[in-house]
Amino acid sequence: MIDFDPSTFGLAHTYQKEDKDEINTLRMPSAPQVIYKSLNGPTQTNGGNKLNNFKHGTTTLGFVFKEGILIAVDSRASMGSFLSSEQVRKVIEINEYLLGTMAGGAADCQYWLAYLANHCRTYELKNGSKLSVAAASKFLQGILIGYKNSGLSMGCMIAGTDLSGQHLYYIDNDGMRLKGDIFSVGSGSTYAYGVLDNHYKYDMSVNEAVELGIRAIYHATHRDTASGGVVRVYHIHQNGWTKVHDGLDVVDLHYQFAQQKGLVGDGDEAKQRLF
Amino acid sequence: MSGIFEYNGGSIVGMKGKNCIAVACDRRFGQQMSTITTNYQKVFKIQDNILLALSGLNTDIHTFYALMEKEINLYNLKENRKMKPTTFANLVASALYERRFGPFFVTPIVAGLENGKPILATYDSIGCKSDLDDFQVGGTGGNYIYGACEAFFKPDMSPEELEEVIGQSLVSGCDRDALSGWGGVVYVLTEQKITVKILKTKQT
Repeated sequence: MIDFDPSTFGLAHTYQKEDKDEINTLRMPSAPQVIYKSLNGPTQTNGGNKLNNFKHGTTTLGFVFKEGILIAVDSRASMGSFLSSEQVRKVIEINEYLLGTMAGGAADCQYWLAYLANHCRTYELKNGSKLSVAAASKFLQGILIGYKNSGLSMGCMIAGTDLSGQHLYYIDNDGMRLKGDIFSVGSGSTYAYGVLDNHYKYDMSVNEAVELGIRAIYHATHRDTASGGVVRVYHIHQNGWTKVHDGLDVVDLHYQFAQQKGLVGDGDEAKQRLF
Repeated sequence: MSGIFEYNGGSIVGMKGKNCIAVACDRRFGQQMSTITTNYQKVFKIQDNILLALSGLNTDIHTFYALMEKEINLYNLKENRKMKPTTFANLVASALYERRFGPFFVTPIVAGLENGKPILATYDSIGCKSDLDDFQVGGTGGNYIYGACEAFFKPDMSPEELEEVIGQSLVSGCDRDALSGWGGVVYVLTEQKITVKILKTKQT
């Protein structure tokens, strides 16, 4: 009997594994069944209120350059205006040659990127060669199209290295899949794009690229309330990925950058009235 | 983040000490998730012994302060004397209730010293005055600051200790609120002087 992986056709609500197959195998959680799908458009996860639109409260960015791909993310998680954590890991290490970034629903991103990791490993074992970045991102897109309009919230980037080089894809819950050189995702992306577009060159060195990534995330954390915490930086090259920075506190960065400009950094440069 | 009180964000806190009183505020002026400036004034000196701290919708902070400034100036001209802090506290309550059906979207804290005794009053947006507690908070980060206040507060603190404690409470509280922070200012009011201290906080 052919074992249909529920996500093969993106029809996650149709097939379920039979119990007897699971006696001698690892218990794999079955893909969630959709109970209600909106007919008119995306299910509104935040009550539809525009002021409540925290769908992608974060800043993540990635860009391709001469030496590979640089990924930089912040680490803040917020529930409305409450900051639930400043230490979240928004880069998910799918395997040694693929990284995924998290934006939107944390649970959605964590689960489906882990699902993708499982799929990549299975492919590697069955076929003897690694799954390409294009194929991995397309697989994820297929899953998300199957859950379209059911309320998933994900704006992730898949970046990795394969035989044809380093590639960066943007995938979101609407089923969009875009290949590109520069992406920034999340509520702070507008601020990050400003810095990124200003200083981006394809011919950067690794150090320059790391500096640019850090600066772009820092600027986004300063202006965007839903971004903050620490900056985590990864570099993808032909041998896989390296974690360049695990947790650079943006508070320290703020005062460092202010000092470099000869300022104090307390927001009082114009010497505002205090009474 | 729905609601008119969450549109601009911001937090304030007031604390009583021994013959002194302190208020502190954050410095953020934002529009929903975007920060516009980090030096917005939220505490105003009404008189040498009265400070008015306001949180809520920034336009109403400014307008309500201008209204109170007008009231105290008129009072000084008509009565030819300074206003007592308890009188001002009552004035704020009535001024807020005057707009009962179209309120100012602010939650004020009045801090003053009357004959050496600290006066601290807080209100909801339509003028319900509460003046019995030793510390009060207002704004989007209020609940988080309450927790820090309960932990750090003790009665009858000296001005230096009070400044330290209120500063810490404000910063700890604002750290958990996405809409407050980006700097802090602490004002300590004693019989002799008002000291103002700018806190170095997270700018994120």
